[in-house]
Amino acid sequence: MKKHKMPDMKEGGVNVTPLIDVVMCLIIFFMLVARIGVSRGTDNKIEIPSSILGMKIEDMGNTLTLNVRQGAMDEPMVTALVENQVREIKLREDRGSGVSYPLRSVLQSFRKIKGDLFKVIIRAPRDLPYRFIEPVLITCAEADVKNVNFNTKKGSEEPAETPVAMGGLQ
Amino acid sequence: MKVQAAKKVHYDSGPNMTPLVDVVMVILIFLMLVGSFSSAEWYLVSNLPFKAKGAGSTNVPPGFIPDEPLEIRVDQPDPTRWVASAGRIQVGDSASLRAALNKMRLEFNATGTPTDKVQVVLAPGRMVKYEYLIRVYEAAMDAKFTKIAFATAH
Repeated sequence: MKKHKMPDMKEGGVNVTPLIDVVMCLIIFFMLVARIGVSRGTDNKIEIPSSILGMKIEDMGNTLTLNVRQGAMDEPMVTALVENQVREIKLREDRGSGVSYPLRSVLQSFRKIKGDLFKVIIRAPRDLPYRFIEPVLITCAEADVKNVNFNTKKGSEEPAETPVAMGGLQ
Repeated sequence: MKVQAAKKVHYDSGPNMTPLVDVVMVILIFLMLVGSFSSAEWYLVSNLPFKAKGAGSTNVPPGFIPDEPLEIRVDQPDPTRWVASAGRIQVGDSASLRAALNKMRLEFNATGTPTDKVQVVLAPGRMVKYEYLIRVYEAAMDAKFTKIAFATAH
């Protein structure tokens, strides 16, 4: 009987196995590390100040980010992610029947759900005057929010300033 | 002369990997473009964000010892600079303020007041920029003060 001999195998082209190994590792890495589609209602157009000190927040699930901007009528405009929608939350609303405080109500409801773990993140432009931040802080205090965090960029030392020679350190 | 190699039949072994590599590369590029990673942002934490000035109406428990207050007044004489005043000091840059607050903290400690019993209250002017407040806040944090709050604007 004639014996059939297997032909010699010749692999054509480049061996792609190491490439696939590396690419698969990269994909798994990106899938584990990347945060896709997770929105915290952060307004990235706000140019926040920088600081050399700061810390990370581990449990971002218990936070509510308040984007504070200058609004009309000398009042702050606060936006936040509430009920899966980024919308403006007024500090005070005059109705025919009376006055309501939507931001305080929102903070109180979050506080009720999350308890003492609830944290507020304030994200405000670097040149925003304090008069727009003060009412937000007061509202946080009224809603019994214990933990308020000021969002800053990781920065280096501040640019050289002209020291103000008035009294100084005595 | 015969060319042997040209006459040999070419066999591919195993599955065709080309579509797999294509798809995997698309996924990789998508993840790299869409994914957001550890950002270059962090937070200055305040456990007592706001402290009203003046006498409060809250009933305090018997034997309650209030914290030692340290008020830092922050002003903005013009849009490009700030001035922080606390007790005898009046400075306009972060390094000097940090040094001054450090010295004050040591003085508190020397008189028997632990640092966690000192309540730093930042009292900014209405027009003071948020950026300047962050600098003062940061200086107080850097001076190892743990209780820092904002007060009503003056």
